[in-house]
Amino acid sequence: MIDTAIPEGGLAAQSILRPEPARVDGIRSTASAAILDLSMADGSPLRHCAGQFVQVSVFGYGEVPISVCSSPVRSEAFQICVRPVGRVSKAISELEAGDWVGIRGPYGQGFPVSRMHGKDLLLLAGGIGLAPLRSLMEQARHERDRFHRLILIYGARNPGLLLFRDDLEAWSRDAGVELMVTVDEADEHWRGRVGVITGPLREMDLDASSTVAAVVGPPVMYRFAAMEMFAKGMRAENIYFSLERHFKCGIGKCGHCQLNDLYVCRHGPVFVLTDLLQRTEAIEAWSPEKDRK
Amino acid sequence: MEAYVVDSAEWRRMLGRLVEEVEVVGPVERKDQPGFVRFHRLARPEEFVEDYTATTLPPKKAFFPPVEELFTVSPGDPPVIEPVGSEAPFVLAGVHPCDLAAIHALDRACASPPADTRWKLNRGRAAVIGMDCLPDEYCFCASIGTCEARKPCDLFLTPIQGGYLVEVHSDAGKKLLQGVRALEAKERDLEDAEEWRRKKRERMKAEFPATPEEFARLLDQGGLEDVWREVAERCYSCGSCNTVCPACFCFNVEDDFNDRLDGAVRRRTWDSCQLPEFALVAGEHNHRGERWERVRHRWHRKFLYLYKQFGIPFCTGCGRCSRACTADINIVDVSGRLVEFSRKERSHD
Repeated sequence: MIDTAIPEGGLAAQSILRPEPARVDGIRSTASAAILDLSMADGSPLRHCAGQFVQVSVFGYGEVPISVCSSPVRSEAFQICVRPVGRVSKAISELEAGDWVGIRGPYGQGFPVSRMHGKDLLLLAGGIGLAPLRSLMEQARHERDRFHRLILIYGARNPGLLLFRDDLEAWSRDAGVELMVTVDEADEHWRGRVGVITGPLREMDLDASSTVAAVVGPPVMYRFAAMEMFAKGMRAENIYFSLERHFKCGIGKCGHCQLNDLYVCRHGPVFVLTDLLQRTEAIEAWSPEKDRK
Repeated sequence: MEAYVVDSAEWRRMLGRLVEEVEVVGPVERKDQPGFVRFHRLARPEEFVEDYTATTLPPKKAFFPPVEELFTVSPGDPPVIEPVGSEAPFVLAGVHPCDLAAIHALDRACASPPADTRWKLNRGRAAVIGMDCLPDEYCFCASIGTCEARKPCDLFLTPIQGGYLVEVHSDAGKKLLQGVRALEAKERDLEDAEEWRRKKRERMKAEFPATPEEFARLLDQGGLEDVWREVAERCYSCGSCNTVCPACFCFNVEDDFNDRLDGAVRRRTWDSCQLPEFALVAGEHNHRGERWERVRHRWHRKFLYLYKQFGIPFCTGCGRCSRACTADINIVDVSGRLVEFSRKERSHD
């Protein structure tokens, strides 16, 4: 008596919000974060782009969005870097090799790498923001001749919180990479630079017309980084910010990451700064052109 | 469009047959709260309430429940992930035009790629029977353009002398009428139904102050912070407005362990953009930490962002948010205040 229109496959084909199992191949913990090596149970590569994220589940605890921090060049195995601040991220950081997680994704728009070719690439990383930029850095090093200068300025609160030390070591020895590391507060062993990342940025000799920047860090960093780059003559269309939101779905449905008319999970998380300047609520309370809206 | 006349007794018989055959969800009076009507499974056709104004929770819950289990995870190597849900057909009956319009809006939102397959599955299971109504002081469907909404119903009933005028809106609707004593509608029956709609419009006192297009433009122009702050002074950020809205669809995704503690269940639950933690991220940074920003967000999402995305406002004039508001914030009054404030501001320019 009732005509139904159940989609093909019915309940069994339900894919929305459904993760696929992935194995924890290894985990390393530092003072502030855990880095996990993962591979999908069915052996399929993740096929991510630098700057994209995955939804990571620890079953029974929940699901959180985390950016992929390994090179997009090979993605049969991939890495995520997690700071244990919430219930789920703590559960992730306590996993052991052989445990299972759930993975959805990769999602979102990563860095537009092809538009960065032929330019000086400036990476600005604050804290855990180094994770997605490590993915971009590895891709840029892999195709090094497609870029002119390759610069990374990385800031952490203190030396103990520096992430990816082996990589920092390798990049510092790589003649093709200009690396500057700074900490907000030094300890007695620290011989490097002290202060926020805008310091080295200010001193740096940049060709504003040929530089393209990728910025990932805490919300407070974006505004000052942008002002410093504007002071150097860089234009908003050459500056890319990756924004953080607590995506619940990752596919533009749940509403949590709505940024005016955009969804950070679908249209971002990487945005060209020109798109953000016209909107409110993007970075802190800073939206110079529409602040009183 | 085909239209028939079905008398009241025959409508009950039809409902009775459906109830025997499948799950029928319709307006039912709460036993624990006499006078309050909710969408609920009908045990008997007599339970169907014909003359309710608005339920507290909208009928969208038949397709998108407040808490919905999506899948379970059982131990294994790798763990076994199995979807949870039903493919059983059901009938959703007694849906007013504003709520039909809201289901239609959600159809659009859920279909935009990647499609919300769970919504689509639940929608595909159901036949929808709409029914016309008379307004209370909170209803404003006439001024927001949903007063005569029919999409996506299969049948639509308008009360007339002795029974209903039944409009057939789909093949599925036609099939529902098989075996039902339905007379072809005459001119007089159609006039009777038109008279009902006239009465409905006449009784509607609340009026939305602008067309959706004008209102979207006004919000986009901005400069309304004073009004947002004024409303926020009264708002408790309780989220009632979102919870009762037929067109809100924000959700949360959460897990729980199963009873044996060896596996998990994943659910999605309704969420509210008015709750302070909605836009909170790690490091205690809140992208809408101020109450007025959340108030503004609610209006912007309904009348600007989703309007831009889908060409329709995600408010259908049901008045539920105004009825439910613990602080008596009325969506029509606030929208009127925004229009008035905006005109004043522009006249100063």
